[in-house]
Amino acid sequence: MTENIEHKRLDCGIELAVLPLAGRPVVAVEIRILAGYAFERPEYLGVAHVLDEAIVKGTAKRDGRALNDAFDAIGSTHSSYAGRERFGFSCLCLPEFLERAVALHAEMIRTPSFPPEDCAVAVELTSQTLAALEDDPQELAKKLLHRQAYGEPLGRHPLGEEETLERIGREQILDHWQRYFCAARMQVAVAGAVEPAAVADLFEREFEGFRRGEPDLDGLGFQFNAARSHHEKDLEQEQIAICFPGPAAQDEDFPTAQVIVGLLAGGMGARLFTEVREKQGLVYWVGAWSDQSRRSGMFHLGASTTPQNLEKTYTTLLREIDRLSEDLTTEEVERAIAGIVIRNQTRGDITRARAVELTEDLFYHGRPIPTEEKMARVQAVTIQRICDYLAGHPRDRLSVVTLGPTPEKSDAL
Amino acid sequence: MERRGSFSPWLRLRSSPSVVEDSGMSQTIFVQEKLPNGLRVVIEVMPHVQSAACGFLARTGARDDSRQLAGVSHFLEHMCFKGTRKRTSIQINIEFDQMGAQYNAFTSRDRTFYYGWVRPEDFDRQLELLADMMRSTLPPDEFETEKNVVLEEIAMSRDDLASTAYDILYEHLCADSDLAWPILGYEETIRAMTRDQMHEYFRRRYAPDNLVLIVAGNLDPDQVMDSARRYCGDWEPAGETNGQRVRPQMREGTAARAMDRFHQQAIMLAYPAAAGTDPLDETAEAAAAILGGVNSRFYWNIMQKGLSPRAGAFRDEYADFGALTLFGLCEPENCEKLVEAMRREAAELVEKGVEPKEIARVKNLRRTSLAVESETPFYRLGQIADDIEYFGAPRPAEARMAAVNAVSAESIREYFERFPITGPGYLISVGPRNWPT
Repeated sequence: MTENIEHKRLDCGIELAVLPLAGRPVVAVEIRILAGYAFERPEYLGVAHVLDEAIVKGTAKRDGRALNDAFDAIGSTHSSYAGRERFGFSCLCLPEFLERAVALHAEMIRTPSFPPEDCAVAVELTSQTLAALEDDPQELAKKLLHRQAYGEPLGRHPLGEEETLERIGREQILDHWQRYFCAARMQVAVAGAVEPAAVADLFEREFEGFRRGEPDLDGLGFQFNAARSHHEKDLEQEQIAICFPGPAAQDEDFPTAQVIVGLLAGGMGARLFTEVREKQGLVYWVGAWSDQSRRSGMFHLGASTTPQNLEKTYTTLLREIDRLSEDLTTEEVERAIAGIVIRNQTRGDITRARAVELTEDLFYHGRPIPTEEKMARVQAVTIQRICDYLAGHPRDRLSVVTLGPTPEKSDAL
Repeated sequence: MERRGSFSPWLRLRSSPSVVEDSGMSQTIFVQEKLPNGLRVVIEVMPHVQSAACGFLARTGARDDSRQLAGVSHFLEHMCFKGTRKRTSIQINIEFDQMGAQYNAFTSRDRTFYYGWVRPEDFDRQLELLADMMRSTLPPDEFETEKNVVLEEIAMSRDDLASTAYDILYEHLCADSDLAWPILGYEETIRAMTRDQMHEYFRRRYAPDNLVLIVAGNLDPDQVMDSARRYCGDWEPAGETNGQRVRPQMREGTAARAMDRFHQQAIMLAYPAAAGTDPLDETAEAAAAILGGVNSRFYWNIMQKGLSPRAGAFRDEYADFGALTLFGLCEPENCEKLVEAMRREAAELVEKGVEPKEIARVKNLRRTSLAVESETPFYRLGQIADDIEYFGAPRPAEARMAAVNAVSAESIREYFERFPITGPGYLISVGPRNWPT
């Protein structure tokens, strides 16, 4: 059944999509602002994350505690994050509290007070979180790989660098907010038992007079750098992180890439889990996924294993990419497609998942895409299309990071 | 411990005639039946959703391992995916994937849970598959390969500061009890474990009279019951229950583990807390949330003072036991300040009580979380499993909300009289600094 999604750019400048879902017990509001860490000034890396810590600490009307108490008074869950290209706010509330929840978000986004003492704490906590990254091997390997493979500015890490954090104060936070927090850079999705016209009126009202700014229609792309590096660290396991270019979300090959990821890691019956873990017992964790910037895409493979299994795990990962173009079966492709289509359907019971999906559509495609249309594209993928794609895009340029106890000069590397 | 995916120890991520209970208020419909062999079946009918989920709750977990077989429950969870009389491990995985199922299993200290989430039209096929796994053959030729997977999981856990600290906490807090060893076991117990030892445990603990089939979704309960009888009706009971579990005596004390590989220090301070069966169960949750949840005292008075990037409080609950743990990460030189701040906040809460807005916050957020939970069968499985373990039966949403509404300043005061958090507790510290010495 085709759903009636309302999509428009409001007079205030916000791009809004509303998915009415009658009978749902909660409403999900997802706000995205094109203000992520890729837009930071190079000398103040980490400022978007610091802004995220500081924006809930008060507005022109109330201090931080009062602001959070106001959300709690309506039982609204709310969170925010500084992503690569987008700054995000997520909110879930009961339908009767939607107006209040949106009003509180508008107050926070439009009139943050950024109290100086809270800004200093936000920098300090970001610095500590950056230090804690050393105790998170998987995230650390990801950081190293992104820096190596993606180039500037998409290869940055959200927490910035120690030396750039030291330069950040209220002035820099305010600068990032003033440059990028504006209506034309906002994409909003709302899902639940709501009436689209009423939601549009609500956002018009709450954001009327907010600086409009200019929409960013271009987006950013990865500047892929093929390289290999090892980072010695006192760990029990070696982290293996691999990436290579894939299609952008708008590319006609993107559904093929989705199926390729499904073939490699869509479930426990997929190739990586079967070949690396089930048959050889080399790992507990192994995975594959795609990472999309607005205008480009990347395939990723990852695993962690003890040093004696490093070489075997690495060669098996590469072998499985190559084997995709050698012995695919129709059943296997159908299974990968079923995984994507059916999981999309079952997750549809989650209101928040529907709102998040809408924000992704707005960001990558500039419009909501009906679920049926997206799934039809996936269902149209065939063995031939996969083989054609792989033949035209050989994995001859890889970016690889290993992190762990193996000495640099080991034969395994 | 999930077979696949991430694990965070800070969080807890499991013949009589049919009885139909309609709560009247929220139209929650539960159907419950016990098969002649003792298998209990609990179904929640959710006509408003487009999916269905089910899971087998094995009422056995790490506390039912022996010290010599530490890790057997978790290793067994892995082995149940490795083959049956009808299917190889690869066939099991492929069949789940053909249905587009979202499936997994986890082991905790008191239970093991196998679950999957599919479209209603695939429900019966998934139930048959999960039921087949509950009669695993524990294929001998898969045993050593899977042992290596578990050893890799142990190695991964040792690289994680939070997991390491949590295991060390229980090793000390519940020393000399069946809660002392890690869910994953020890490298030496896993290496020494034999398939015969596991099979003997499996035979006793996975009999139908120690299993519960939990179902939720847009389903016809009569058809589900027919399927349950067809797939599980001939399983032989073993007559073993959880009566041998011994309630642990929680200790007070201090333990430090210096580990240079980490950069930050993990601090945990644990106290006895209400068990899951305690009438003050919701009050215990509220107290933990007020102290260390969202917009809590720890958030404003510890994290927002720059002392810790991550601090909070969580409660572990079992049928016979509970623990409230205050935790935080910090720079190694800030250990004393962090512990002092935790103790100060705990004392303030106990001595001065809670503010009305704090009680209101807990209730309001709970109301929203109950609404979210009612959206999907997948979310419902875990809550029904908790209800069965602690209350003997699933509870409709309004019964749970009534329990939340009963939380008050007075009930919190009563709670801290019974479970004080102003004493020494058990303090553990893990990280580069050997503190306290």
